[in-house]
Amino acid sequence: MKITIDRTDEGFLVVLNGRVDTTNYNAFENSIAHLYNEKGAAIYLDCSGLDYISSSGLRIFLTLQKKVKVQGGMLKIFAMQPQIKEIFDISGFSSIFSIYPDYETAKHAG
Amino acid sequence: MNRNRLSFKIIVRVLLFCFILGGSIFTIYYLFARKTIERESRENAIHLAESAVYKIEEIINPAEMIPNNLAWIMETNTLSRDSIYAFLKQLVRNNESVFAGAIAFEPHMFSEEEYAFAPYAYRSGEEIRSRDLWSPAYNYFIMDWYQIPALLKKPYWSEPYYDEGGGGVLMTTYSAPFYRNINNSRVLAGIITIDISLEWLTEIVNSVKIFDTGYAFLISGNGVYVTHPNASHIMNQTIFTYAKEIDEPKIREIGRDMISGRSKFSNVDLKEIGKVWIYHTKIPSSKWSLGVVYPHREMYAGLRNLNIMIFMLSTVALVLLTIATIRIINRQIGPLSKFARAARSIAGGDFDTELSAVDENHEMKELHDSFRFMQEELTKYIADLKETTSAKEKIESELRIARGIQTDMIPHIFPPFPNLPEIGLYASLESAMEVGGDLYDFFPIDDDHLCFAIGDVSGKGVPASLFMAVTITLIRSMSDKNRSCAQIVESVNKTLTINNESNMFVTLFVGILNLRTGELQYCNAGHNPPVLLNRNQEPRMFSNTKAIPVGIFEVFDYRDETVVLDKSDQIFLYTDGVTEAEDADKNLFGEAALIKSLSENRDKSSKELTDRVKQSVKEFVNGHTQSDDITMMCITYWGKNENKIK
Repeated sequence: MKITIDRTDEGFLVVLNGRVDTTNYNAFENSIAHLYNEKGAAIYLDCSGLDYISSSGLRIFLTLQKKVKVQGGMLKIFAMQPQIKEIFDISGFSSIFSIYPDYETAKHAG
Repeated sequence: MNRNRLSFKIIVRVLLFCFILGGSIFTIYYLFARKTIERESRENAIHLAESAVYKIEEIINPAEMIPNNLAWIMETNTLSRDSIYAFLKQLVRNNESVFAGAIAFEPHMFSEEEYAFAPYAYRSGEEIRSRDLWSPAYNYFIMDWYQIPALLKKPYWSEPYYDEGGGGVLMTTYSAPFYRNINNSRVLAGIITIDISLEWLTEIVNSVKIFDTGYAFLISGNGVYVTHPNASHIMNQTIFTYAKEIDEPKIREIGRDMISGRSKFSNVDLKEIGKVWIYHTKIPSSKWSLGVVYPHREMYAGLRNLNIMIFMLSTVALVLLTIATIRIINRQIGPLSKFARAARSIAGGDFDTELSAVDENHEMKELHDSFRFMQEELTKYIADLKETTSAKEKIESELRIARGIQTDMIPHIFPPFPNLPEIGLYASLESAMEVGGDLYDFFPIDDDHLCFAIGDVSGKGVPASLFMAVTITLIRSMSDKNRSCAQIVESVNKTLTINNESNMFVTLFVGILNLRTGELQYCNAGHNPPVLLNRNQEPRMFSNTKAIPVGIFEVFDYRDETVVLDKSDQIFLYTDGVTEAEDADKNLFGEAALIKSLSENRDKSSKELTDRVKQSVKEFVNGHTQSDDITMMCITYWGKNENKIK
């Protein structure tokens, strides 16, 4: 797993690569935890490099979404690989996250 | 001493170094000393030779003066026969080194009437006698001593000879011509000679002492030995015959150099005394040459003695050095062995092992201190470890108990409802190493309704298992015949969401099967869609749910859905542990493989079907460690009045 977080004009761009599973979800959470306190931040989560996510990882997505909303911000996820999208579909998470095909669409969507 | 010991290695290296160093110093010293000795010996040889030559010259030069002076007298004065005799006698008497003297006149030169006249004075015992050398038997004009200087018109030293008349002593004759002015022209008038004994020469040359066997020798212009410590050589051998005798061409070369009047050093091997140096130089007034012989062995004898002394001293020094080194090293690194013993003893578990004290403040002390530090730290660490291990063991045993409780919370007696022939049910939960959060449950609500559920708590470990226990308890307590599946899920969701700070969630599928009609009401909260199997159709999955897992939002509109089962239809439920089972290359088992396995086994009983799928998964992962709980549940609906359990 490899995460890069960049501050952009729109807010934050989080690029997630590799696998998020029970062995490293803690590291994942630690590296994005500082975003929990960003007031009104728009966070763009690039999942194009994400190969696998376990339920532990989904929990962190969920936490991030909740925290960001409390701070008046929003979380936009884009460019999911099909197998990741499937996990989101199966678990019904597709309905509670804002998911976009790519960065451009995510930026321009309300 | 053990060859592998550090002390041994140090000693060997130190001694080797000393040996090489000593050897180098000695070699340099030896070469230098040898060179010095050589140089001094050369100088000494030259000096000896020169001083001998000087002594010889000291005698020869005055001897040469006599005929020269006499020649002058004879050229300017005309003496009578008697006065010539008297004059000659007086001359011999006055010059100790002169054995005899003669004035040999050219024919008719002394007087017209006399053909030849050669007055001669000589020693005979204590007396000095005189006579005329001329006799018809002794025609002196053809003698070398006369002829050579007469022809050369210059003085001449004869080859040495034994004079029979003079008591067999070794003699040489110096002959010088004298002239007279006749009719204004300078005409040879005769030859003046003096005979000199060479005894004194032998004395001078033999007095040159070089060590024990070194010597000096003199050869004449023809190479005849004039003096030599071996008396049999004198007058009997020339240097060339000697060279031939001992078969040493170098001597011949030396001989040639000597008679041509050169001064030179040569190295040569002489039979009698071994390797020698020969330095030779000429006697300027004659054609003779003096040689000094320097025996190598004796020349370097002092050096050799010194070498033996140095060698013995070095040996003693080396032995002392060895002993001292061994003692010093053993004393200095001795503690190492003790430390090693202590380390073994510590490794054996005795942490209180006493360390031998090191007094001096150097590296050994440092080692001692670090060792002591290690000992203390190790003791502390072991104590800590004991504590944490016991704590860990406690946790582990608690975890084991937790897993036991968790397992006990799910039903695991099959077939579960022997008195319900309408259904065949089998379920299995295989835990991964860690306590997981999978759950399943089934129970009759009333005579006609069976409630069942399958779920997966996000994450793993104790938090997940606690969450699972709460969930399973909630499902049981919330299910009654007045609630639909969606209502049960909503109630569970509401309770779980309150104070769920950690945002844990459960994917949950709850179904209520009407045993009489086959109607299945269900609510899927984010769980993997179950598979519906019909004997005559390919397996098909329930559609994906739009509902999110429970525990996320307190208020969420969960909906009921309904499907009607035909007799002998089967529902296969599973958690993501099945579809996301990984092989060593992190490939996932996947839904397609699941469907395939189910399709191949759709005429099997619930238990068999479950076992086959389990087997397929096992074959797929091929021994790779299971990372998630694998939970499966299969329900076969037989319908009413079908008295069969499958």
